[in-house]
Amino acid sequence: MQDTRLCVNIKRSLGGFDLDIGLSAGTEILVLFGPSGAGKTQTLNAIAGLSTPDSGEITLDDETFFRKKPGQASIDTPARRRRVGYVFQQYALFPHLTALDNVAYSLWRKPNSRRRASALLERMRLSDHANRFPDELSGGQQQRVAIARALAAEPRVLLLDEPFSALDAAIRERLHEDLRAVQQESGLVVVYVTHNLDDALSVGHRLAVVNGGRVEQIGSIEDVYVRPASSAAMGVLGIPNRMVARAAAMTADELILDWDGLALKAPVQPVQAGESLLGYLRPEEIRLLVPASQSPIDAGNRIAGKITSVQVGRSFRIVRVALSNARTIEVHVPLADSRLQPILETRGDVELEIPRHAIIVLNPDRAS
Amino acid sequence: MNWHSVTLSLQVTAVATLLLFVIGLALAYLLARRRVPGQIVLETLINLPLVLPPSVIGYYLLLALGRGSPLFEWLDVRLVFTWKAAVIASTVVGLPLMVQTARAAIASVDPALEQAARTLGSSELEILWRVTLPLARRGIIAGLILGSARALGEFGATLMVAGNIPDQTQTLPLAIYDAVQSRQYQLAGQMVLIMTALGFAGLWWARRLEQNPDRRSARQTG
Repeated sequence: MQDTRLCVNIKRSLGGFDLDIGLSAGTEILVLFGPSGAGKTQTLNAIAGLSTPDSGEITLDDETFFRKKPGQASIDTPARRRRVGYVFQQYALFPHLTALDNVAYSLWRKPNSRRRASALLERMRLSDHANRFPDELSGGQQQRVAIARALAAEPRVLLLDEPFSALDAAIRERLHEDLRAVQQESGLVVVYVTHNLDDALSVGHRLAVVNGGRVEQIGSIEDVYVRPASSAAMGVLGIPNRMVARAAAMTADELILDWDGLALKAPVQPVQAGESLLGYLRPEEIRLLVPASQSPIDAGNRIAGKITSVQVGRSFRIVRVALSNARTIEVHVPLADSRLQPILETRGDVELEIPRHAIIVLNPDRAS
Repeated sequence: MNWHSVTLSLQVTAVATLLLFVIGLALAYLLARRRVPGQIVLETLINLPLVLPPSVIGYYLLLALGRGSPLFEWLDVRLVFTWKAAVIASTVVGLPLMVQTARAAIASVDPALEQAARTLGSSELEILWRVTLPLARRGIIAGLILGSARALGEFGATLMVAGNIPDQTQTLPLAIYDAVQSRQYQLAGQMVLIMTALGFAGLWWARRLEQNPDRRSARQTG
C-alpha cells in the first residue's frame, strides 16, 4: 500500500498558551501523548479544520489543507472537504438517529447506503444493535458506532481524541485491536490522542510526546520510551529514577558516572569526561540481592541501600530504596518472587545490583 | 355568529404563523449560533413588543407601512387597513415568543454534534437540516405555537393598522369588542368561548412539548 503522509506545522496563540506543533505521520497509528491541556485536542481540531491556526501549514501528500505563510497564498480547506474522520472523546453520536442511521449519515446521497452502513456495523461487531439509539448503547458500543460512522465517509486520516478513556481496561484492549486492524485494512493515517501511557504503548506504532503546546519528541515507541530526548519528555512519560550525573572517568568498556557522590559503572558512551549527563535507572532491571544465594557474576554495580516503602502494583511490587547519596530509587520486583519476601518484610538494609544496561544515559546535548 | 371574523382570524393567524416560522427561525438560529454585531440591540428590538403597549406597536407600524413610508411612496404598496396589515401586526407581536423559545432549543443542541457533521462532509445548510433542526424540533414547534397563539389574540396594533372594518378587517378579538360595545352579550360570549378554547389548546400543546422533551432531542453528549 502506498504511504500517505500527513505533515503538520502550525502555530496558534490561545491567550497565555502557545501552540507550536510540528509533526508528521504516515500510514500508521501515531499517538499524541501528554498531560491534559498540552494542546493535543487543539492539534486534532486544526488537522480536521475545526479550528484555524494563526500560521503554518497542514498537508496530506500533495494536498494542502491549511497554509498561512508570509509571501504565499493562504489556504484553509473547510472541514467537510478534508476527508478527515474524527472520533470525539464524548462520542458525539447523533442522538436522534439509530446506530445504523448514524453510520449511514455521510452516505445518504450514495446508492446502497444502508447496506454499506450495515457492513461497517458488522465490521465493528454491532449488527445486533443497528436499530438502537445511542442512549440505548453502552460506552464501548457507542464508541464503535462513532468509529464506524467516521469510516463510512471514507476518510484518509482518522483522528481519535481520548477515544476509550471512559471505558474499562478489557474493553479498551479489544478496541485497540479493532483499531489496529482497521488501520491496516484501510491504510489510514491515524492520529490517536491520549494521556494514558498504557493506551499509548498498547495501540501506537509511533509516539509523539506533547507538552506545553509543543512536541517534545517523536519516534518509535521503543525509542521514545527508552531514550527520552529531554528531561521534560521524561517527566511527561513518568519515567522514574531520573538522574543527572557527571561523567567521572572512561575506560575501554565502561563509563564511570558520579551521581551525587555515588559511583556507577555504565555502558560506554560518546561523552567527554566531566560532562553533566541526564539519564535514568530502569527500575525493572535493578535486582534486590538475596543474601544466601548471591549470583557470582558481577554484572555491574553492587550498592547498599535501605528499603523505605513497598507498594504492590499491577504486575510487580514497587520497592523504594534510599541510597547512600541521599537519593531514593524505585525498583520493580516480580510479585511471584517469594525469596524476597523476608527482605521486603524487614524493610531494612539491602544490597542492590544495578547492571550496566539498567543505566540509560541520554545524549549530553539533549540534557536540557 | 360572526363567521367572517372567525375565518379571517384563522387566515391571518395562518399566514402570520408561516412568517413566524421563516423569520423567527432565521433570527433564532442567528442569535443562537452566529456572532452578530449588535446582538443585544437586535435581541432587545425583537423583544420590545412584549413590553410596549399595542398602541405603540401600531404607531410604529403605521409609520412603516402608511403614507410617507418608503414602502408606500416608492414601491406603492398599500397595506394599511387591509387584512395583510393585520398579518404584519400579528407577526410582530408573536415574534419574541417564537424567537426566544426556538433560540433556547437551538442553543441547547451540542455544538460537538455539528462539528461531527462537518467532519462527515456536511455543508452548513445540510447540518441545519439534518442535525440542528431535528434536535431542536420540539422547542421550535413550541415557540411557533406560542407565537401563533399570541398572533391569534392580537388586538391593539391590529386595530390601528388594519382598522376594524366589519367583514373586511374585523378579526375575532375586534368583533368581540364590537359585540360588547353594542351590548350583544350572547354573541360576544360565543366568540369569547372560541378564543378561549383556541388559546387554551395552544398553550396546553406548547407546554406538553416543552415538558416531556423527546429524550433523544435533549443534549446528551455534554
